Amino acid sequence: MKISTKGRYGLEALVDLAIHSSEGCVSLKSIAERCGRSEAYILQIFLILRRSGIIESIRGAQGGYILARDCSQITVGEVLTALEGPLAPVACITHTTEPICERYGRCETLGFWESVMNTLNDVVNSITIEDLLKCYQEHKAIEDNKIEYYI
Amino acid sequence: MKFSTKGRYGLRAMVDLAVNARGEHVALCSIAERQGISTNYLEQVFSVLRKSGLVKSVKGAQGGYILAEAPSNIKIGRILRALEGPLSVTDEKVEDSNENETSIQHCIRTCVWDKMNEALNDLADSLTLEDLVDNYWKMLGVEETMYYI
Repeated sequence: MKISTKGRYGLEALVDLAIHSSEGCVSLKSIAERCGRSEAYILQIFLILRRSGIIESIRGAQGGYILARDCSQITVGEVLTALEGPLAPVACITHTTEPICERYGRCETLGFWESVMNTLNDVVNSITIEDLLKCYQEHKAIEDNKIEYYI
Repeated sequence: MKFSTKGRYGLRAMVDLAVNARGEHVALCSIAERQGISTNYLEQVFSVLRKSGLVKSVKGAQGGYILAEAPSNIKIGRILRALEGPLSVTDEKVEDSNENETSIQHCIRTCVWDKMNEALNDLADSLTLEDLVDNYWKMLGVEETMYYI
């Protein structure tokens, strides 16, 4: 059970955007460069995040992307669900229309898989982009201190 | 983000074995029939479970499989790790590259992936096969009551 590269790289790009958006909107090119991914790939991810109302795009010469809301109002759960779909360990628990398995309703393990999904959702819904931003600033301060110390 | 068929079918087969064993060996083909899984596939799954010390096999006409320990001693985490490897939401490759990670990657790993993995492993290790068997009986009990009404 793995988070795909889309979810991993997408979250990285979004945190990069949050870090640099204090200076106004951020160009796709600069995010792609800093994250070491192709511009086309970041664009693909940002189209999804824009459709999900997590980021907004600004057109024009000084254009680029900004967060649609304050970073304390965007949860990691929202971002991962937008990019990955529901964090379901098995397909049958998110099938809303009709059961895809004939064992639905008498399955020995369905309850367990539901609690896995609920547990993972609780974790990611409790973390905001602001939390990651704070962690980044603290980590960076420590790293910067290390460099000064060596000099 | 999905568990593989090996993990899904293997866990179901273990609950089936616990429910139907009642101190006797259970033939693989009877588990296969009840679970709608091919006997060939179950043989592969049970070979892994046997090597991990979770089930024992007995050869011969009355042969079959039995749990190696009481259901209350078998954690779900142990079953899933035997079938799927470490319970983690990220690839091992990602976890091994800590030295080269950027500050952003470090923060996402410690604040998100590590927390998800911790919660996943804690949950799987807090439940035993007995808990799943109990839930199964409860589920069937509720269904029966509904039928009678």
